[in-house]
Amino acid sequence: MEEPRIGVYVCWCGTNISKMVDVEAVTKEVSTLPSVVLSKNYKYMCSDPGQDLIIKDIKSHNLNRVVVAACSPRLHELTFRNACEKAGINPYLFEMANIREQDSWVHTDRTEATKKAIDLVIAAIRRVRYHESLQKRSVNVDPSTLIIGGGISGMTAALEIANAGKKVFLIEKADHLGGQVARFDLTFPHLSSAQQMIGPMIQRVENHPMINVYLNTELKEVKGYIGNFTARLQFMGVEQPEITFGNIIAAVGLKPFDPSVIEEYSYGKFPDVITSLEFEDKLRAGRILTKYGKEPRNVAIIHCVGSRNKKYHEYCSRVCCMVALKFVHEIRAALPDANIFEIYADMRAYGKGHEEFYAMTTHKQIIFLMYDQQKRLPVISEAHRDDDCNMLIEMNELLSGIDIEVPVDMVILMVNMEAHDNVKEVVRAIGVSLCGNQFFIEKHPKLDPVATTTGGVYIVGTCQGPKDIPDSVAQAKAAAARILGTIAQGSVAVEVTTAVVNESLCCGCQTCISVCPYTALSYDEIKKASVVNEVLCKGCGTCGGCCPAGAITSKHFTDRQILSEIEGIMSMSY
Amino acid sequence: MAQESTKPKLKLAIYWGAACGGCCVSVLDTHEKLLDIVAAADLVFWPIAMDIKYKDVENMPDKSIDLTLFNGAVRNSENKHLAQLLRQKSKILVAYGSCAYMGGIPGLANFFSRNEIFKRAYEETESTLNPDKTIPLHSFKVKEGILEIPEMFNDVFPLNQIVDVDYYIPGCPPQSERLLEVFSAIVSGIGLPPAGSVVGANDKTNCDECKRKKSDKKQIKRFYRPWEIQDDKETCFIEQGVICMGPATRGGCGVRCVEGNSPCRGCYGPPPGATDPGAKMMAAIGTMIAADKPEEIDEIIETIVDPAGLFYRFSLPGSILGRKIL
Repeated sequence: MEEPRIGVYVCWCGTNISKMVDVEAVTKEVSTLPSVVLSKNYKYMCSDPGQDLIIKDIKSHNLNRVVVAACSPRLHELTFRNACEKAGINPYLFEMANIREQDSWVHTDRTEATKKAIDLVIAAIRRVRYHESLQKRSVNVDPSTLIIGGGISGMTAALEIANAGKKVFLIEKADHLGGQVARFDLTFPHLSSAQQMIGPMIQRVENHPMINVYLNTELKEVKGYIGNFTARLQFMGVEQPEITFGNIIAAVGLKPFDPSVIEEYSYGKFPDVITSLEFEDKLRAGRILTKYGKEPRNVAIIHCVGSRNKKYHEYCSRVCCMVALKFVHEIRAALPDANIFEIYADMRAYGKGHEEFYAMTTHKQIIFLMYDQQKRLPVISEAHRDDDCNMLIEMNELLSGIDIEVPVDMVILMVNMEAHDNVKEVVRAIGVSLCGNQFFIEKHPKLDPVATTTGGVYIVGTCQGPKDIPDSVAQAKAAAARILGTIAQGSVAVEVTTAVVNESLCCGCQTCISVCPYTALSYDEIKKASVVNEVLCKGCGTCGGCCPAGAITSKHFTDRQILSEIEGIMSMSY
Repeated sequence: MAQESTKPKLKLAIYWGAACGGCCVSVLDTHEKLLDIVAAADLVFWPIAMDIKYKDVENMPDKSIDLTLFNGAVRNSENKHLAQLLRQKSKILVAYGSCAYMGGIPGLANFFSRNEIFKRAYEETESTLNPDKTIPLHSFKVKEGILEIPEMFNDVFPLNQIVDVDYYIPGCPPQSERLLEVFSAIVSGIGLPPAGSVVGANDKTNCDECKRKKSDKKQIKRFYRPWEIQDDKETCFIEQGVICMGPATRGGCGVRCVEGNSPCRGCYGPPPGATDPGAKMMAAIGTMIAADKPEEIDEIIETIVDPAGLFYRFSLPGSILGRKIL
């Protein structure tokens, strides 16, 4: 290893850091540490003059390591890495100490905060000494895209990509396209027809020269990595020729919750207790009739069925409140004299035009009854022979506090949206993670909501979490834009800080193989050692952590680097 | 080696610190090859076999001993004195065996304090009757004068935490074959690695030599002690739910425990690059726990009997952990 020559730069961040940290003291304290050639402070290190300072010093003082103590590396690590690169040293010979988010912003004692800044900077100095040059790598991108799921999200993304002239393989396990939306009658809040929206879209997808639609088809296996995937498909149980593509969009959606597990509602026992989707079928057929062909005189709509309840699903399905209000409009139009009861736990009308839609519904002579979702669900029972209705709902009306009986002839259960039973198979094939609710996890909940931690794999629509049509469509278009972006680039950068197996230490115990979330590790029978596919590896470090033989190291996160950092942070005794 | 008899013979010393005696026996276990050792070297100090006083060692010139094999950990003031003395008198000082190398079995005492150990040993053990609560003292006044015994430290130390060590030969005890290899290398001066190296052991861990079938299917629902399973004698112990330290332990012993259908206990210590074998093995075992829900993780971990003693059986004082903070 060449003798390290370290330049240290302490940023004021205006007053953000300098108000709580004595930057002069920090600069001085670290200036005498071994290998530190110079240490300076400046008002805004990220500004052009700040970066120029680093570039000039690297050249004139022959620096080969740089430490900047400033904000979070999430914000400016790339900025300073680029500055290092501009000055001719490898960008990975840089380390950042976060003395803003982790120090000045969160402390109130200037002396203590200054001490902490010194510790953090010493840790970075000790670490950067052991940094090694790493080389950037990229792979070419196959311009075709695989889309899993032919609902509105999958079809939207398919059209977006295909209209840009790029090939799409759209696979759907059912025998038709359209997904859940194909079952809807009207949509909220505009009460426009779902059929008139989805029908022409299905036709455009089916007739598009750049889209290959595979119905009755399931994904069996995906191999490869961003830009270069292959997949095995099965059409009605028969293996299909392998397809190759560069990106994947998962749009597998959610399915309606089966309410028969909720005893109080007697779903499956009473024929006129139906789910919201079954009611959509009736609306599409054009007649609202009970099992015995009569128009119901009393209709109840129960909200939050399987939602917001620890026994079933803790989360809110987001759309059911609005769908219920849409039903109110449709029922009122069809049955002007019927009694309509909205039995709700909480009314959620958060979206554009939704509150207005709710307000409009209140003028439709509806009886709103509130129940306590946590304490006591309404109970549906058979009415007495001499009652003027088929069923009774016993409930405690929360706003009045009174126990009441609601006469009903038809009950619509607003069922929750939940994950498909076989979602884990898709998840395993494409290498994404699931949250506790079995929803696909995005790369970043705010800043990267359609990407996943696996390069080239995107998630759109409800498989990422319950959402309505506009949100699903927006996600689909966002993922399509991301993919068209990488296709236009022609190649993508792949992770540099990957894991490395030292084959002379690997004992072949294979502990690492199954822990890799990206299937980047495999066991080489000839070498009798594990090998890393560097294109698949994301450098998460899981394999290095679990390798009992110490044979796997993660580039840029070696034991030597991390232990030096810890030693550095512990080195001062005040 | 007969023709080399004209060459001056090496001076060899063997000492035991906090040890069980097994390391000294492993030297005898070289059987007839011991004669080759004696042909090449004069044994100048070996308390288990020869009647020589510490005073005699103190009177030797500095660096007059060519090679000292120091076995056992440093547990008391006597061990420490001899470690320092032998360092001063020896050209090459070897930490011989797991105790001198990492702290070994006596090093498990670092999970307790000296006071706790004295209390257990001199007051609480089932066979002890000590109503006056008498415990050993470093010095004690009798009418004839002051009696002194070595002072037991609060901590157990591996040899290199007391003095500089040239080589480490791991094992509990080291395989006698490995000792012979290292000894001939020292005699000939050929093939010796740089000072500070572990010798007489492999870089790869035991799984490399282990003949049992291994796969990436290490999914454990419950851990077993060896006697709790019907070992099929061919599947990796870990895959049968028995914790085997083999993956985190240097080869060199010839996988003798596993060949004898018993899991590796880890006496050869960590491979190069693994700083803390206990932590490494725990991290590896952690990935194998096949729990469907978080509570199940705890239930499965509960089935590991004495995890600290299991994972750090030979390595506690020499690990990053060092000891239990009391």
